[in-house]
Amino acid sequence: MSIDEPLFSVLGTTAALFEAPGTAMTLETQQRIWSLAKEAQDWPEVREAVPGMNNLMLSFETPPRRLDELERRLLVAWREVRPLKLAGRVIELPVTYGGDGGPHMADVVAHTGLSVDDIVELHSAPLYPVYALGSHPGYCYLGGMDPRIATPRRKVPVLSIPGGAVSIGGSQTGVSASAGPSGWNTIGSSPLAFFYPDREVPVLLQHGDSIRFRVERIIR
Amino acid sequence: MTDPSSDLAARICGWLAGTGIELFELRGPGTLIRLQRNGTTYTVPPATVTADVVRSGSVGVLRLAHPLRPAPLVHVGDAVRAGQALAVLQLGAVLLSVAAPRDGVVRRILAADGSTIGYGEPLVELE
Amino acid sequence: MIEVLAAGAQATVQDLGRTDCLRWGVGTAGAMDPMALAAGNLLLGNDANSAAVEIQVFPFRVRFTQDGAFAVTGADCAATLDGLPLMPWSAHRVRAGQELHFGVPQPGRWRASRAYLCLPGGVDVPMVLHSRSTQLRGSFGGLEGRALRRGDALRAATSGADFVSSDIGILPPALALPLERDGCPAMRVLPAAEYGRYTQASRDGFWRNEWKITPQSDRYGFRLAGEALRPEAPMEMRSHGIVPGVIQVPPDGQPIVQMRDAQPSGGYPKFATVIEADLWRLGQAPIGSRVRFIETTWDEALDAQEELKVWLEEAARLIGLHRNSQGAA
Repeated sequence: MSIDEPLFSVLGTTAALFEAPGTAMTLETQQRIWSLAKEAQDWPEVREAVPGMNNLMLSFETPPRRLDELERRLLVAWREVRPLKLAGRVIELPVTYGGDGGPHMADVVAHTGLSVDDIVELHSAPLYPVYALGSHPGYCYLGGMDPRIATPRRKVPVLSIPGGAVSIGGSQTGVSASAGPSGWNTIGSSPLAFFYPDREVPVLLQHGDSIRFRVERIIR
Repeated sequence: MTDPSSDLAARICGWLAGTGIELFELRGPGTLIRLQRNGTTYTVPPATVTADVVRSGSVGVLRLAHPLRPAPLVHVGDAVRAGQALAVLQLGAVLLSVAAPRDGVVRRILAADGSTIGYGEPLVELE
Repeated sequence: MIEVLAAGAQATVQDLGRTDCLRWGVGTAGAMDPMALAAGNLLLGNDANSAAVEIQVFPFRVRFTQDGAFAVTGADCAATLDGLPLMPWSAHRVRAGQELHFGVPQPGRWRASRAYLCLPGGVDVPMVLHSRSTQLRGSFGGLEGRALRRGDALRAATSGADFVSSDIGILPPALALPLERDGCPAMRVLPAAEYGRYTQASRDGFWRNEWKITPQSDRYGFRLAGEALRPEAPMEMRSHGIVPGVIQVPPDGQPIVQMRDAQPSGGYPKFATVIEADLWRLGQAPIGSRVRFIETTWDEALDAQEELKVWLEEAARLIGLHRNSQGAA
């Protein structure tokens, strides 16, 4: 398996997985994944085209007998797709950094050697593109976090952090959309709701949209 | 009430005489002896129960145990309730209960496990 | 139609799952034993995908508040109706006031851990995102997005007044479609993307060894205990889609099989996936029990899926035949 070639594999008979070459998570590759997803969504054997971080899962409506044919079709499509430049929405998220809603801020300070104010400034500066949804209903995988505030995932995950928790896990950042366990470092909280189960499109944000964190308050 | 073996019944009457026992019942495979004190002697009490033969309501292969369970559904001598499954008739994947039509006691199983049963065949005798 | 009198933790309303919302981060949920769910529905003449109650902790007791019917499938829990023993995998008429009791799963010819209570027309709860399954994280679907509690009332979609063939049962797939290795329940598995990056010894051991279902196993995932799986070199993974059955390997080498409530994405290495057709077998494996995995091929896995479809169709046909021939019992 060459690291320059995409990787095609199956998840049982339920889905196929297409992974872009390498281990990076670039925006341009992600935009090509979005393109590929848009095309594959119309294929007869596909139920859902689900982008991940520089990869694409295709859940099967009916798993095809000729798997090699599907693989070939994906590879051809991948070579031909252009990055899908989505004119997404920008959602501004008010965040209260630190305090009870940011119980692991001290761990990020300890790991990075930066002050709370520096961490807040570096975290709230970028416009974060939503690469993909996953993990739990409405949760957005974001790209573009400053590597200076990267902090490894916790050795012992927390059993439950609330919805709206703003966290850093490795080199990524995200906002949880509902209460649940997490191994990331929670540095702040925000009140926005990301998921509406009674709506036709139940999510606030989709891939192609962006988040900006607005500093509401810093509790030191 | 089945016919008691007269020899055995007579001997039992002898043993019971003078004991003060009110009601004596002896059960075994195909055997039931019931004696009631009547003054100083013992007699067969008036029949208060009659036997019922539970017949199959379908065709199928007779299963005395449900396939998931090692033990048979009922044994001779078990008290059963109306609606309780006494056996199962299997047709392919479908399993049909043979249910007790009333409360009673299982007296005899009348067909062999695994045998092919036709409609209306006698399966279980209830007292 | 029913009132819950006693419920242990983790009893939820489930159907066959929410299979088209993965792109929004919504996992499938759905019954851990979809064959038992479907069979219970077929016994009542329901659509196979009708919602039912999945019971994981016992005892469980309900009172019927109306006349009607019900079916019990899944683990044989020596269920009784007003004390009257019921057969496993069967459907019955019921009168208002009667109480249905599920005891603990019985040892017998099939060790199982989850039971299903089906109602006429299915449990009547609102459809949320195309399914009636309970989505615990996010608290929606099923009954108010949560597990059942004492005092809860559930309605059936239809009255069940027309249910005539009482005491009809079906031979469970565990007996009709047995699968085992060396006396151990077994599931067929397809290798996943990172399979080849594990040591030969790890791969051989995976197929050869028994795997124990540890107490840290539930609807989210089954943590297995056995000989650790070791990669040739450490792997850095990007988050990608996950479906039930995916076997992930965390750093300690003890595999976790993602089950119905699993997150729809994750970043651990994927060793292999239990095929969809055998997930019901694993979903019923009790804590403390052992399982074996059988390496299979793509074609065999599709054939297994087809075999289940045929079993259900045949069951529906036979049940339908019997119902039509019964008339008024």
